[in-house]
Amino acid sequence: MAKANGKSKWIKGLGAVAVVGVAVAAGLYLAGSSSGDIPPASVDFAKLGPQEYDVLYKRGEQVFRAGDCAACHSSPQTGAELAGGVPMVTPMGTLYGTNISPSKEHGIGNWSADDLYRAVATGIAPGRKVLYPAMPYASYHQITRGDSDALWAWLMKQRPVEVANKPGEMQFPFNIRPAVALWNVVNRPAAKEFDYTVNELARGRYLVDTLGHCAECHSPRTKVTFAMDTSRYLEGNTIEGSYAPALTPGALGERGWTRDDLVKFFRTGLSPQGVMTFRMASVLDHSTSHMPEADLRAMAAYLTQNQDMPGLQPKAPQTQVNVKGENLYVGLCAGCHGVQGEGQPHSSVPMSTNTTAMFPTPINLIRVIREGVEERDLAHGERMQTMPGFADKLGDEEMADLVNYMRQTWGGQPGNVTASDVAGHVRTIEHSK
Amino acid sequence: MQDRIQFSATINRKKIGPVDVPKDLMMIEFLQEYAGMNGTRLGCGQGVCRACTIIVDEPGKGSITVPACVTGVTWLNGKTIRTVEGIASVDDKGVVHPSPVQKAFLEHYSFQCGYCTPGFVNSATVLMEKLEKNPVPADDVEKAIEQQLEPHVCRCTGYVRYYSAVRDVILKTPGLTTGKRTKEVANNG
Ligand code: FES
Ligand code: FES
Repeated sequence: MAKANGKSKWIKGLGAVAVVGVAVAAGLYLAGSSSGDIPPASVDFAKLGPQEYDVLYKRGEQVFRAGDCAACHSSPQTGAELAGGVPMVTPMGTLYGTNISPSKEHGIGNWSADDLYRAVATGIAPGRKVLYPAMPYASYHQITRGDSDALWAWLMKQRPVEVANKPGEMQFPFNIRPAVALWNVVNRPAAKEFDYTVNELARGRYLVDTLGHCAECHSPRTKVTFAMDTSRYLEGNTIEGSYAPALTPGALGERGWTRDDLVKFFRTGLSPQGVMTFRMASVLDHSTSHMPEADLRAMAAYLTQNQDMPGLQPKAPQTQVNVKGENLYVGLCAGCHGVQGEGQPHSSVPMSTNTTAMFPTPINLIRVIREGVEERDLAHGERMQTMPGFADKLGDEEMADLVNYMRQTWGGQPGNVTASDVAGHVRTIEHSK
Repeated sequence: MQDRIQFSATINRKKIGPVDVPKDLMMIEFLQEYAGMNGTRLGCGQGVCRACTIIVDEPGKGSITVPACVTGVTWLNGKTIRTVEGIASVDDKGVVHPSPVQKAFLEHYSFQCGYCTPGFVNSATVLMEKLEKNPVPADDVEKAIEQQLEPHVCRCTGYVRYYSAVRDVILKTPGLTTGKRTKEVANNG
């Protein structure tokens, strides 16, 4: 009898814990799926005259460009900028950019300006639908209501694209969308408008942190929730099989960046420090090459914190270099990149001032050498010729020799990459596809 | 960097070297200035046009093409190489017999100025050898040709005749394709 009593108490206790658990989960869900109070609309759209709309429309396009929306929301098949479909590979599965054209069936044609602000700044779409944080609301949270409204005005006047969204392929339990609300409770900053009108630095910060959401790729992520690790802001991160380098003023100075070179890089995709590759190539295409020079200058001012930068300062080569690697470099690379790494203007980048060999990880060097880079028109008249991939010519051992030589000669790095390191990096790269 | 190396290679079935050459020498220069073989053409000098294509035969790995203008002797040292001079055969009497690819180019009037031709000959030859090992369905020949010849630039824009010559010779050579050809193509040269 006593035994049975004990058991029923235990069951009751468990029941109480379960009730509390459900209540807590429900509370967290409500908190994480709520957008809280939002600022009032900046304009009364119903009363806008055509000229005022035009001004707003133009500003909206600038927000769209600076926010780099198209990089994720374009169709990889047709190139249509708002159709959606760009895959984003995360360790938890793959997501696809959604249709953000004004299609009423597939896109956001039924959204109000309030709806857009909520989605962009808080990650909550109409119907309390929580968005995955691949949509960078954790960065966009400081967007001004004025910019959001301008973006809405622009988006709603674009051609609707009647293409259905592609469902994500997330692994369990990440495929349970409401669970993102819990992520929000822990990681989502409160939506708060940023005043970027104070000075150039503030404007730059707004463009870098909020619209450009640079930190999403260039900051390490936390192990547990995969949120941006704000304590290591812009310290560099390997994401989607490539290294998004550190962008702190110290790290930029170390790799020879100046404000002017940063502006050149944003505008044309090319500078003495290198050429935009991987995901940055689409940032150039859809975003920075369209931005006004003043905005690019503001970004460069913020990233360098207006400090004096030392400028290009090629690293002193190591006294002993990998000789096998040197032979591979002279045999396979020097024909275009020059024996001294001097490159060819407007067709192949110099290695001697390139930052890729300077990175703490060789992953980008390995990836570019293995896969090559397709011939590309960059922007504002700059272009690069095809770089062939050498995956079929170089085994892991030879790759290690080659990257060691390059890192020793131009990177100020030791030649300690092994064949098994190379194999590991190759696995990381392949996993991101 | 040490400045010079001793370079040897087997070129067109003949052992050459060791020759004392600057370490940063590109293969095209070795062929033309040291080996006296001027069949390999320098076009862009940047790995873009493929006029300078030569063949590297790697035992076990098969044959690949590389642009001689940007491939240095340090990488080719000790390797087995074919240039356009080694494609035709010569009989005991010294009579030159063009290879099937070369014949097809002649029959189709594929080239005009001929500057790009050595590159096309070498690339098409490698394609034929690849297909010997891995035949493709007869209807997919165009795709295979495009994959192989796509990087080659012809300033006289002789692409159509080059491609149809290669298609013809592949379809006519037993063992390179499987199945029956169902696609009709216009006789465009
Ligand atoms: S000359 Fe070598 S590819 Fe053009
Ligand atoms: S035939 Fe003249 S370049 Fe091709």
